[in-house]
Amino acid sequence: MKKSIVNKVMALALGLMFFAQSCTNLDEELYSDLAAENFFKSEAEYIAALGAAYSSFGGMGNHFGLWTMNELASDELVITTKGGDWYDGGVLIQLHEHNITIDNPIVGNTWNFLYGGVNTCNRLLYQFQQLPASDGRDATIAELRAIRALWYYWLLDSFGNVPVVTDFTDTEAPASKTRAEVYAFVEKELNETIPLLSTAKDGTTYGRINKWAALAVRCKLYLNAGVYTGTPQWQKAADDAQAIINSGKYSLESSYKSNFAVNNSGSNENIFVYPYDKVFAGGFNWPMMTLHYASQGVYNFTAQPWNGYSAVEEFYNTYVNATADTQFPEVYGGSDNPGTQGNVWKGTAIAPAQGTQDSRISNFVVGPQFNADGTRASDPGADSDDPDGAPLTFTPKINTIYPNGWRQGGARIGKYEYELGGTPNMSNDFVILRYADILLARAEALWQLNNGNAESLSLVNQIRSRAGVTPFAAPLTPEKLFAERGREMFAEMTRRQDLIRFGKFNKEWWAKNASDPKYKLFPIPKGARDVNPKLVQNPGYPN
Amino acid sequence: MKNLLKVGRLLPVILLCIGVTAFAQERKVTGKVTSSEDKAGVPGVNVIEKGKTNGTATDLDGNYSIMVSGDATLVFSAVGYSTKEVAVGSQSVVDVSLAADVTQLSEIVVTGYGTQEKKEITSAVASVKSEDFNRGTVNDPAQLLQGKVAGLSITRPGGDPNGGFNIRLRGISTFGANTEPLIVIDGVIGASLSTVDPNDIASMDVLKDGSAAAIYGTRGGSGVILITTKSGKAGRVNVDYNASLAVESVANSIDFMSASEYAKVPGAKNFGNNTDWLDVVTSPGRSHVHNIAVSGGTAKTTYRASVNLRDATGVAINSGFQQLNTRLNLTQKALNNRATFSVNLTTTTKDAEYGFKESLRYAIVANPTMPVWDGTTTSATAGGRFAGYAERDIFDFFNPLSIAKQNKNEGKDIRVLANIRGDYDFDDFVKGLRLSVSYSQQDESDLRGQYYAKTSKFRGFGRNGLAGRQTNQRNNKLFETTLNYVKDFEGVNMTLLGGYSYQEFFNEGFGAEGGNFLTDAFTYNNLGAALDFKNGLGSVYSYANSNKLVAFFGRANLNFKNNFFVSASARYEGSSRFGANEKFGLFPALSAGVNLSNLVTIPAVNSLKIRGSYGLTGTQPGDSYISLQRFGPAGSFFYNGSFVNSYAPVSNANPNLKWETKAEYNFGADFALFDSRLTGTLDYYNRTTRDLYLLKNVPVPPNLASQTLLNIGELNNSGLELSLNYNVISNSNFSWTTGGNFGTINMKVNKLTSEELPDGDTFYLAGMGAPGQNAFTLVRVKEGTEFGQLWGPIQEGVNANGTPKFKDLDGNGSYCDCDADKTVIGNGLPTLTFGFNNNLKFGNWDANFFFRGALGHEILNSYRGFYENTEGTTVDNYNVVNTKYYNPAIKKAAVNNTHVEKADFLRLDNATIGYNVQLGEGSMINKLRLYLSGQNLFTVTGYTGIDPEVRWADQIDGDGGGGPGGVDPFSPGIERRSTYFTTRVLTLGLNLSF
Repeated sequence: MKKSIVNKVMALALGLMFFAQSCTNLDEELYSDLAAENFFKSEAEYIAALGAAYSSFGGMGNHFGLWTMNELASDELVITTKGGDWYDGGVLIQLHEHNITIDNPIVGNTWNFLYGGVNTCNRLLYQFQQLPASDGRDATIAELRAIRALWYYWLLDSFGNVPVVTDFTDTEAPASKTRAEVYAFVEKELNETIPLLSTAKDGTTYGRINKWAALAVRCKLYLNAGVYTGTPQWQKAADDAQAIINSGKYSLESSYKSNFAVNNSGSNENIFVYPYDKVFAGGFNWPMMTLHYASQGVYNFTAQPWNGYSAVEEFYNTYVNATADTQFPEVYGGSDNPGTQGNVWKGTAIAPAQGTQDSRISNFVVGPQFNADGTRASDPGADSDDPDGAPLTFTPKINTIYPNGWRQGGARIGKYEYELGGTPNMSNDFVILRYADILLARAEALWQLNNGNAESLSLVNQIRSRAGVTPFAAPLTPEKLFAERGREMFAEMTRRQDLIRFGKFNKEWWAKNASDPKYKLFPIPKGARDVNPKLVQNPGYPN
Repeated sequence: MKNLLKVGRLLPVILLCIGVTAFAQERKVTGKVTSSEDKAGVPGVNVIEKGKTNGTATDLDGNYSIMVSGDATLVFSAVGYSTKEVAVGSQSVVDVSLAADVTQLSEIVVTGYGTQEKKEITSAVASVKSEDFNRGTVNDPAQLLQGKVAGLSITRPGGDPNGGFNIRLRGISTFGANTEPLIVIDGVIGASLSTVDPNDIASMDVLKDGSAAAIYGTRGGSGVILITTKSGKAGRVNVDYNASLAVESVANSIDFMSASEYAKVPGAKNFGNNTDWLDVVTSPGRSHVHNIAVSGGTAKTTYRASVNLRDATGVAINSGFQQLNTRLNLTQKALNNRATFSVNLTTTTKDAEYGFKESLRYAIVANPTMPVWDGTTTSATAGGRFAGYAERDIFDFFNPLSIAKQNKNEGKDIRVLANIRGDYDFDDFVKGLRLSVSYSQQDESDLRGQYYAKTSKFRGFGRNGLAGRQTNQRNNKLFETTLNYVKDFEGVNMTLLGGYSYQEFFNEGFGAEGGNFLTDAFTYNNLGAALDFKNGLGSVYSYANSNKLVAFFGRANLNFKNNFFVSASARYEGSSRFGANEKFGLFPALSAGVNLSNLVTIPAVNSLKIRGSYGLTGTQPGDSYISLQRFGPAGSFFYNGSFVNSYAPVSNANPNLKWETKAEYNFGADFALFDSRLTGTLDYYNRTTRDLYLLKNVPVPPNLASQTLLNIGELNNSGLELSLNYNVISNSNFSWTTGGNFGTINMKVNKLTSEELPDGDTFYLAGMGAPGQNAFTLVRVKEGTEFGQLWGPIQEGVNANGTPKFKDLDGNGSYCDCDADKTVIGNGLPTLTFGFNNNLKFGNWDANFFFRGALGHEILNSYRGFYENTEGTTVDNYNVVNTKYYNPAIKKAAVNNTHVEKADFLRLDNATIGYNVQLGEGSMINKLRLYLSGQNLFTVTGYTGIDPEVRWADQIDGDGGGGPGGVDPFSPGIERRSTYFTTRVLTLGLNLSF
């Protein structure tokens, strides 16, 4: 009888198991998620996939990344600690003072951002290489390689010695290459892809890398070749610039400001942009980063700004001072900006002063601020030692970087037009490569080859004329070239390169002592070296 | 199949056996079963002939009739009564009087898929009956258990009427989503606590150790709480009515400066008013609760139906809820009492006003000299940018009253749970065999709405009115079938259980948010009127996901002559959320106990059982599809003149994603000493969780995404738990029992890395936020150290410029604001949690005092870290926090060790005094009791913040009007700035039964 009980129980259990068979399938059913095997099937999906290579650039226009790292390490912009606000562990001041630690999170974010871009390209290259060969596929592959070259150009520029990863299927942790090797790689990639890229400059290439954008990257690579490899390539830089000029597709806009307007997609001067849009592609939030809390009413913004970035006063003065600033002569020695004199804001900006009328002053928001309804904007929390008190006035002067920089201190970034009623996401397209930069690059390269070159001076004066200031008389000096680049290219992520190339990066400037040359390269982030011990730290940084 | 054939051959033999039995000589015996207490007939008593299979049950009046064979012995058994055996002899009428078995009732412990007598329990299980539940105004079932079970921590910092309780058993054993114990209500696994009203709960049983919880497999990792609801009893109809009225007031906020104090601080912005912002944004809360239950039944049918109504307002303006809960528990016997059908139906609807914690936050930091109104008006009727509310154009400040009054944050929840269970007793076929089949379905629906007015500086103004609407639906279906077999042989009682469980979940929802309205009139009810949607600035989403669990399980309980007990169980369970290579896991458990006092006589010891157990439980990932490689939207791509969506990988495939495995040892003793006046339980546990889910940085390539959820990491918890109950005095007109429970916790992070991924052995979490302290992280999690570390600099003085002077810990000559100069400045986890209870009865009066507390934990007082200083921006913009630590020389906000405070506390959680009205003989009313109860009457603590309650996880808050952040399970011990004030509740209540 006992055995039969066991049998009965077994039978029941088996019956249950049999019934259960249909109910043991544990495959996941997806509804609002997209599994890899269901993707990359149609042409529209290829485009969506390729889009990821470009949407990687979406990190250019916000705080705490590549742009922040480059700008704060230069003399253009600073984020002062405003009492309880904006100290953030000292990581912002570190960049300004050139006292950068290996665990600075902005440096770490930048590394991840740049390699994120590289990896996306590598992944897409791998995926597209699996597709049957076609013209479309090969053009896409060339485009992806050129995008990747741009990411590597920034890695080369910021970090120098970095690994070069090109094969997505390579699972080995990559070892560092020397800066010269990385340079050679970027050059090779651009050399190989430039002939394959589209030469069109129209809707099909807007916001994408065409031949001219790739040439512009190579031009800037050659311009800085001396810094990267020790061997300057002035002629090659001049030639690439000339090729772009010869294409006839680009020209200086008559209005400097139009390149940065809310609707700047028609600019003939912008060579490569990341098209931001308040609806489709958010993330460009400069008004939040730079403007004062009370600026919300000035522009009727939908959100309150954060009062972060301001321009360094001496840098600002290179626009309004007809003669060179004497405060830090090694940096501003040749910053003369002759031109028509008129009312400008200077110093503590309580009353207008006389200064040069440079149309590029639109790079700044400065002076008294008025609400959209015409009333004076006001800062109820104004510092007690702020000379103009509660009425909101952006003074070029900043009292101190720490611990209590004036809340209203410093001219603010006004480079891009701020939309009335704007959201934290701007619709202006973010300019990454611009024709004026290329003209100045050719001017500089020609000057380096022959310091009496007339074309060099005329190129610089094209830029000056457009800005409405007096053309320079011969001879052109490196200080003038440097200062002109500064005025023209403010906040376009070229100042750090310029400071380094012109030997000024480690000099003393406002709230910064002369710094160690090691800071010309950022440290390889601690986080990256933790994941990959093969990475070699840059010279001078703690291992 | 072979076995099936064998059974097929056996079938005629079995039928023949049954046939033979039927032909034995029979006679009829009748009688009446009465209760020895009140001599009333007891319905539903099982009457069976000993050693045979025939049986019956008494009818409504206690009468029975049964056919017996010659020399029969009848066994009378019923729940709540001692079983009685009577030899029939030659009698044809056998009347029996049954004695109530109080011990049996209270000693039954609900375990997973069954019950056991307490003496047989070999694992760590705590059972709390309704008479021991917390009293006063209890709106959440979890609150009933608060402080009642050693090692079970139930916390809700502050007194938000809509705030949920955090439940942690023996610390946390996972960093994932499933840190709370699994809830099982009347057998429904994963039922929502909000489907049950506290008034309807008969008992709550907590499966604390791995061996007890292992029967719940992949969901037992954080422990299990089994809830049994009240059911009807056969007999007369009972009507219970419980009602209470309560008033609630602010018990504690944080000390800040009055207008006159603030005005004296250098740099103060004196607007000339004297505003008590706390008073402005709070008002006494009121609530009333009504519960009516009708229960009763016949021998074959029992039922209990109840309706619960709750209406509560919190102390913050516009916060509160109204809730209606209904429940029907019905049991019907059929097929000659062999079959039992049970139906449980519950519905809950809740309308809530969540209010805004930010209103409380900014009340603390608002300048006390600032007026409430801007001077153009003294009420919200006038126009102006902010509808007459005074506002200041500064960062991270909003008029506290405007936040609460102008905006809406509301929701409606609906919960429906239906459960039907059929049991069949196969005694005729195999004695002791019982089959049970159950099906349940739970539907939860949440609907939310927010509206921020055009004139509200807080969120609404910049957006010209902003509305949001979200709905989430969760459905789960559970099918289970179990076989139970009970057998006695040679002094051994054996209970076998086998079962199959299938459960599927489906979640879906959608939501939208948009602003720019012509008028505030629609609030959140007309999203189509928001211009944002036309302009492409509105946001909209929808989602759906599903998951499944399949399990086979079995258990054997053996009782050797009530001296030795052994239990072994296993659950073989699979989850769709696991990777393709690891769909099923096995979760075994073994436990044993010995009743020492039965074997040897120990002086003063009435009973002593020692036991030991070992069990494996699991935890599944918090989300579906994690093991799959997925693509998702990744911004937009400007293609040929217009934007198209671009897609990029969002997760890497991990076919090896499996469960977290928690292995737990438990050694315990249950004892009764001194004539059983002192009873207690002692447990020691040690649990190690392996294969913890950690989101790790992985190399790209070969991975597509830079992080993958991997099974890496190991966590160890251990602790000692003691509960004691002492019957101090017990006589007919005065009794006093006192009891307490104590639990220690020791949590260590053993591993956060693997050989392949050696990085990430330390990480820093819990950024303090704006203004100015975004980059300051307070929590360090480091491999090989204690969990819960608060990490920061040591303040040793004040520099000349007023900044705090921090200690140079690495001795390199200066403080560097880097890791080398930071150290452990506290630990957020308590070393001891306890509850302490006193029950007194004197004549018709009863009283209860319940204390609760925790020792050994520290809490960061965020308010102090930001506002307790005289820095210009603090004084210019905000009020100054003014605790006993205030030092006017400090002119810089910088979180450091001085803001981390010891948070030991002892709280009189509840004091209740009740009076039983004596009703005359023959009164229609059975019971009438009135009581007055106070909750959170006082707290003894040195902590200067709002609530010294343990913070198990970090509820990150938003700054500058942003919404709340996520919950970070790695960062205990932080009181964030949006903490609801604690409250004191006084309740007047009535229990009526007729």
